[in-house]
Amino acid sequence: MVTLQQTTPLDPSYLESLGFVWHTDSDESSYISDRLVCITEAEAEAYYEATNSLYEMYIEAAEYVIENNLFHEIGIPFNLVELIKESWEHDVHWHLYGRFDLAGGIDGKPIKLLEFNADTPTALFETAIIQWAMLKQNNLEEESQFNTLYESLVENFKRLVVLEEDTESFEEQYEGWKFLFTSIKDNPEEEQTVRLLQHIATEAGFETEFAYIDEIEFSNEEGIFYHDEPYELWFKLIPWEDIALEESDLAMILTHIIQNQKAIIFNPAYTLLFQSKGLLKILWDLYPNHPLLLESSFAPLRGQKQVKKPIFGREGESVSILDENTQPIQSNGGEYDNHKMVYQAYTQLPQDSEGLSYQAGVFYAYEACGLGFRKGSKILDNMSKFVGHLVK
Amino acid sequence: MKQIKKLSTIAAATGLGALLLTGITGCGESTQAPQEQEQAKGAFLIIEEISEGKYKIKDEFPAEETRIVLKKLDGTEKVLTKEEMDALVKEEAAKIDEGTSNLTKEQPAEANAGGMGLGETIMASMAGAMLGAWIGNKLFGNQNYQNNRKASYKSPSTYSRSKSSFNKSRSSKTSSTKKSGFFGSKKRSSSSHRSSFGG
Repeated sequence: MVTLQQTTPLDPSYLESLGFVWHTDSDESSYISDRLVCITEAEAEAYYEATNSLYEMYIEAAEYVIENNLFHEIGIPFNLVELIKESWEHDVHWHLYGRFDLAGGIDGKPIKLLEFNADTPTALFETAIIQWAMLKQNNLEEESQFNTLYESLVENFKRLVVLEEDTESFEEQYEGWKFLFTSIKDNPEEEQTVRLLQHIATEAGFETEFAYIDEIEFSNEEGIFYHDEPYELWFKLIPWEDIALEESDLAMILTHIIQNQKAIIFNPAYTLLFQSKGLLKILWDLYPNHPLLLESSFAPLRGQKQVKKPIFGREGESVSILDENTQPIQSNGGEYDNHKMVYQAYTQLPQDSEGLSYQAGVFYAYEACGLGFRKGSKILDNMSKFVGHLVK
Repeated sequence: MKQIKKLSTIAAATGLGALLLTGITGCGESTQAPQEQEQAKGAFLIIEEISEGKYKIKDEFPAEETRIVLKKLDGTEKVLTKEEMDALVKEEAAKIDEGTSNLTKEQPAEANAGGMGLGETIMASMAGAMLGAWIGNKLFGNQNYQNNRKASYKSPSTYSRSKSSFNKSRSSKTSSTKKSGFFGSKKRSSSSHRSSFGG
C-alpha cells in the first residue's frame, strides 16, 4: 500500500499567482492531490540509480538505431532522419531534460521502465515548483524531497554553452546568443511550462524571449527570427513528430537551419528516438531480461497480460490492457488507433487504499534530479492527478 | 544523495525561493525593456561612372550615416557632400513629379543601355530611398521604379546582396526566404503532458 501524508491544499489563487493556471480539471476536481507520497531515502536512491542507468541504455539503443538504420522500424518519420543524424553527431545538440515514467519503486515493487518522455515533457511545473510550494504552505520546510529539478535545469542550461559537467566557465563562454522559447497558442499549460523554462534560463544567465510558434519566421539560410531579431537558440514544446507530419515544410527548413548552423534547437531532434515507444522493443533486444525493463515487442506477446500502446501516443489515448490471450480487458479510445503499436508486458502499479494506481515520473537533466507521482485508474490519462512526495 | 534536499536549503540557494513568492508571470513577459531594433539609419554607397554621365551602383552596405563614394571614369574617387546629395535628390524628386525621371518610366532606353544619371542612380539605391524618405512612398509602389532600380546595380548579385544586408538590419518581413505561421490553427494539446500508461 502506498504511504500517504495528508496536507492542507494550496489555494487556487496562490497557484495562479505562481503562474500555475491548470490547477482544476474539467470535472472541477483539483489536479493537485492534497496528499504526499512518503518514500524512504533508499527508495529515492533506487529511483536515482535506475534513471541514470536507463539513460545510458537509451543512448546505446539510439546509437544502435542510427547505426543499423532502424528509423522506419521504430516509426520515425522519414523527413526527420537527416536532422536526427545531424543532431546526434554534435555535442552542441545537448539534451536539456526529459522525464522517465516508471512503475514500482515503492511498496516493495521493483522499478520498471514504462516509457521516456524525452522530447516535450510536461509535469515540470508540478514537480519543480508545486510540490515545494506544498511543503512551504504546510510549514514542512525542514522536510526533504528527491527534487533538485529547478537548480539542475539552471545548471543544464549553462551546459548548453560550456558543453561539460562543470559550469563554472559559463559567464566567460556565453557570447550573448539569444534564446527563444516557444509553445502553441491557446494552451495555457504548455505556455506556462515554457515560460517556466524561460524563467530558469534567464536565471542561468541567458538573454531570453517568448513567442508563439505561428509568430516566428524561419529561413533556410538565415535561421530563426522573431520581430526581426535572430535567435541562435530555440526551445519548442512542440513534438518533433507533429512538426514532421503536420508541418513538413517546417521540418525541411529546420533541417537546413541545423545544417547551416544558424540555430540550435531544444530538445534536439534525436530525442524523438527516445520518445518513440518503438525503442522499448530495441532496448529489450539489446538488454534482454534486464531488471529495469519489461518485455516489449512489435507483435502481441504470448501467454501474458500486456499493454498495447501506440508508438507516439499521448495522454493514454489508444492504450489497451490485453489478457494472456490478447483479448482487451480495458481500453482507452483515441486518435492513435491506426498507429504502429508496441506490446509491453503488464506490471501492476502500486496502489492506495482507494485502489488508485501510482506511477513515478523521474526527471533527467544531465542526471536524475526530480521525482513526482501521478495517480489515476490503471491507464493513466488526461484526468490523472499529480501527487507530490516526501523523503522520510 | 545530493538530489535529496530540504526546502529550506534549496529555496536559499536558487531563485526557487523568490519564485514561490512571486511566480513566473511577471518574468514571463520578459522584464527587459524591449530592445531597440537595430536599424541602419543610412548606407555606404559606391557608385561607378561607367560611361560619360552614366552611373551604376557598385556596392552598398548599411551604415550609421549615409556616405556616397563616386568612382569617376578617370579613376579618381570623390565623396559627395551632404549638400551635393540633397541637391541631387531634390532635383530627381522634381523630375519624378514631372514624370521625366527614368526611374518611373517603363523600360527606359538609358537603363538598358547601361547606367542612368547620377541623381537617378542614387535614388535607385537604398541610400536614395533613405535620403529622400519623403518621396519614398511615391517611388516604392511604382513597379517601373522597382524594375529600373534592379537595373541600376552593376550586377544582379550586387542588388540582391545589398537588399539582403538591408533586410537584416532593417526589416526581414520583406525577405521572401522566410516562412512563418506554422501551427497557426492548431489548438489542441500536443505535448506529452500526463501521457502514458500505467498498467
